[in-house]
Amino acid sequence: MGRRKKIVQECEKLMDSPEQIRNIAIAAHVDHGKTTLSDNLLAGAGMISDDTAGQQLAMDTEEDEQERGITIDAANVSMTHEYEGENHLINLIDTPGHVDFGGDVTRAMRAVDGALVVVDAVEGAMPQTETVLRQALREGVKPTLFINKVDRLINELQEGPEEMQQRLMDVIGDVNELIRGMTEEMEDIENDWRVSVDEGTVAFGSALYKWGVSIPSMEETGISFGDIIEMENNDQRQELHEQTPLSDVVLDMVAEHFPNPLQAQPFRVPRIWRGDDESDIAEDMRTVNKEGDIVFMATDIGMDPHAGEIVTGRVFSGTLKKGQELFVSGTAGKNRIQSVGIYMGGEREELDRGVPAGNIAAVTGLKDAIAGSTVSDVEMTPFESIEHISEPVITKSVEATNMDDLPKLIQTLQQVAKEDPTIRVEINEDTGEHLISGQGELHLEVITQRIRKNQGIPVTTGEPIVVFREQPQEASREVEGVSPNRHNKFYITVEPMAESIVDDIRLGEISMDMPELERREALQEAGMDKDTSQNVEHIHGTNILIDDTKGIQHLNETMELVIEGLEDALDDGPLAAEPVQGALLRLHDARLHEDTIHRGPAQVIPAVRDAVHRSLIDAEVRLLEPIQDVRIDVPNEYMGDASGEIQGRRGRVDDMYQEGDLMVIEGIAPVEEMIGFSSDIRSATEGRASWNTENAGFRVMADNLQREQIMDIRERKGMKLELPPSIDYI
Amino acid sequence: MLTFIGLGLYDERSVTVEGRDALRAADRVFAEFYTSRLVGASVAELESHHGVDIEVRDRAGVERDPETILEAAETDEVAFLTAGDTMISTTHVDLRVRAAERGVDTRVVHGVTAQSAASSLTGLQNYRFGKAVTLPFPYAHGADGVPASVVDGVEANRERGLHTLVYLDIKVAGSSPAGPQAGEDDEFMTADEAAGMLADDWDPDALGVVVARAGSPDPVVAADALSALADREFGGPLHTLVVPGDLHHLEAEALERLAGCPAALLPDE
Repeated sequence: MGRRKKIVQECEKLMDSPEQIRNIAIAAHVDHGKTTLSDNLLAGAGMISDDTAGQQLAMDTEEDEQERGITIDAANVSMTHEYEGENHLINLIDTPGHVDFGGDVTRAMRAVDGALVVVDAVEGAMPQTETVLRQALREGVKPTLFINKVDRLINELQEGPEEMQQRLMDVIGDVNELIRGMTEEMEDIENDWRVSVDEGTVAFGSALYKWGVSIPSMEETGISFGDIIEMENNDQRQELHEQTPLSDVVLDMVAEHFPNPLQAQPFRVPRIWRGDDESDIAEDMRTVNKEGDIVFMATDIGMDPHAGEIVTGRVFSGTLKKGQELFVSGTAGKNRIQSVGIYMGGEREELDRGVPAGNIAAVTGLKDAIAGSTVSDVEMTPFESIEHISEPVITKSVEATNMDDLPKLIQTLQQVAKEDPTIRVEINEDTGEHLISGQGELHLEVITQRIRKNQGIPVTTGEPIVVFREQPQEASREVEGVSPNRHNKFYITVEPMAESIVDDIRLGEISMDMPELERREALQEAGMDKDTSQNVEHIHGTNILIDDTKGIQHLNETMELVIEGLEDALDDGPLAAEPVQGALLRLHDARLHEDTIHRGPAQVIPAVRDAVHRSLIDAEVRLLEPIQDVRIDVPNEYMGDASGEIQGRRGRVDDMYQEGDLMVIEGIAPVEEMIGFSSDIRSATEGRASWNTENAGFRVMADNLQREQIMDIRERKGMKLELPPSIDYI
Repeated sequence: MLTFIGLGLYDERSVTVEGRDALRAADRVFAEFYTSRLVGASVAELESHHGVDIEVRDRAGVERDPETILEAAETDEVAFLTAGDTMISTTHVDLRVRAAERGVDTRVVHGVTAQSAASSLTGLQNYRFGKAVTLPFPYAHGADGVPASVVDGVEANRERGLHTLVYLDIKVAGSSPAGPQAGEDDEFMTADEAAGMLADDWDPDALGVVVARAGSPDPVVAADALSALADREFGGPLHTLVVPGDLHHLEAEALERLAGCPAALLPDE
């Protein structure tokens, strides 16, 4: 029997015992060594050769991932590990660390119960560390810490035991400060989730040289930090690996400190599901009942050239089997499961016996599922949508080089949007070109490259374009919108919405999907007054429509059309047809024609659209651009050049401080100006700087830049190059 | 001068003599056929019959940009044509008000409308009709089935014993907000389709009266339960439907003799 087959059999045996299962994700800042660590764990489990761990990057399955040396998609694998005489099934997801692929991390967290956070000992906690921790904690996923690249402290920095200890304690302190800040207000997290060396929730080591230690491992093997320094210095790395292998240390920590599904689901289900907690289905999920109703949450969609679309996700209840017909939330009808399996390295292993509750499954046949879908055998309240915090900031046009490829390109783009919800795809009706929007230049580059390579469709892409927003700056007066036949009138005002409400909508804490009472409470908590919160009619993007009318006949029937007109107006704002954000709109009154036909779409939609635009103009709507937080680590002598790269880009330097032997520069700059930053900073600092950028929302552009930017966008979109005369404030 | 001329119900000969004379005397003739149209005559036939050129305006060309019409009317004799009557079941009073605001004189030449035809052909008395409603194509109001306001209208009339005239939606090719679509044809809701929608969403056993091709040489009038009407066919357009309220004894007799109403559906004498 092959080794692989044996592992599959072991996994199968364990799948039915939730107390022996751990579902975990590895998450970290880019280049801190997640994938190398994953390889160690795989080798430890006998799934890849021990020699190649560290170089193989088994979980970077896409060619471009191995080329770029970074993980782009979350990848999955199951393995077994024996700890304290008991075998464990460990379902692992490796997640990307680059900021552009944050959506993948958020989705992976939905499937797991524990997050192994990896931090580079030399660099310490970085911006992405903070982001992935926040993504984990928001989903109720418990963290542990692995401090990687400790060998560099010994070899490169020549640190002695005390210096080293101090540095490691600082890293742990920083991570704990982040955890404390984020969990402070989470009432359902009763235990302290900060990590601790003494309790064994922190491990140290070198994924490259495959050794690791923790307090429990030191007790067991008798190998101390002093021994490690000595062995590293004497080039005894192979012995070090054999005596205290990284995979054992980390997997012991996983088995000991991460909750199993029986412990995790009762706590996590209320966080991510708003259904009736008295229902049978709630009980099935709490008890991880493999005989119960089927509840499966899709967290990732991938393409397999042979099997087609593969949906990965977590089975919360019941047992998924081939041939089942299941509901997919948000769609009508049922999908039939064609195969069910688990992941072994980059490959799937189909299991005819099915995959029971508590496990991560790979499923084919769920053609209607998207990342975030709830799949079940009875109709049920779907899980909370998986919200990713960042919105797309960069857009690129994509055109098929050969017209014949057009249908295939459209199909591929639709597939891309399905696989990665942080990508938006739209057809520009004016120019006929397709636009994809994403988290950054790299994000879009990877997507277009995959269209070229994997699908074999030659495409040409346009220059990356920044996505803008439009936002009202003050309260408008009441504006009257009249239908073309002049028989219908709508009275509308707009005002800027409180930041706190906008944030909550963005995070999915407030949405039209939630029960009305809960939404009302959430709105009031975020600062909306009671009367207003009771009249919420619609939420579109981060904008809210309030219906302040009373007893108008036929209005309920017309509301659909009012909303359609409103959405039109908000999707294409009055300045440059960019999306409007943070607007609180009120419908105060309406006069309607008696007959349905004369208050149909051709009348109501233009009336409302026009009223919304004019109210936005009266509210001094302005253009916003996306900005990024920028952090540059650079040797002292390049500090001036590096900070000049921020300031020269309409940016602002907020802080400069010494960290180790490097200077850290922190600031913000507009995304548009950051295009091409990597090559500029490299040449300005002769390649000595390392930097990190993170999308940080939108900011109103300075008044003296508004008009020019608006005209640029209008010209690009083929719009009229003059603004309505009422826009006299910019 | 702006003269609103109703063309009547069916073809180029349905207009009144006064209307015909006014239309032939005009310097410029505008028309709209998006609210309704003459089934028995094309625009070309109208033009050759009357010896005039007709400028057909789409919805935007009347409602959003009436300037062309109004400007012409300031200096010339201008006629504005619609099927039926220009002011019944349309919104053109707006155009007349705008003209008046500019000091342009206006005049209305009446045409025969579906409303009076429904009463004349069915024998249901015009005194006993309540408010009329329009049944839109489901896609046109963004929901399924019959809008609540239509059901409300019918029920409110029946509570007071009154009949309801149900206009049936028409969609003229090229009149959608997105502009003319390739391969698009005029669409007319048929009375059997309308009866089916009302039978499904309201009351299958209620009495309905179909009026098809009023004003044409071969009009059809048929009374039966809505569910039964839904299974029949009434030929080419245009159709309307009446949902009667309480029946006066002579109205009942008319429905039986002139519209083939099954006696079981009529009140006992």
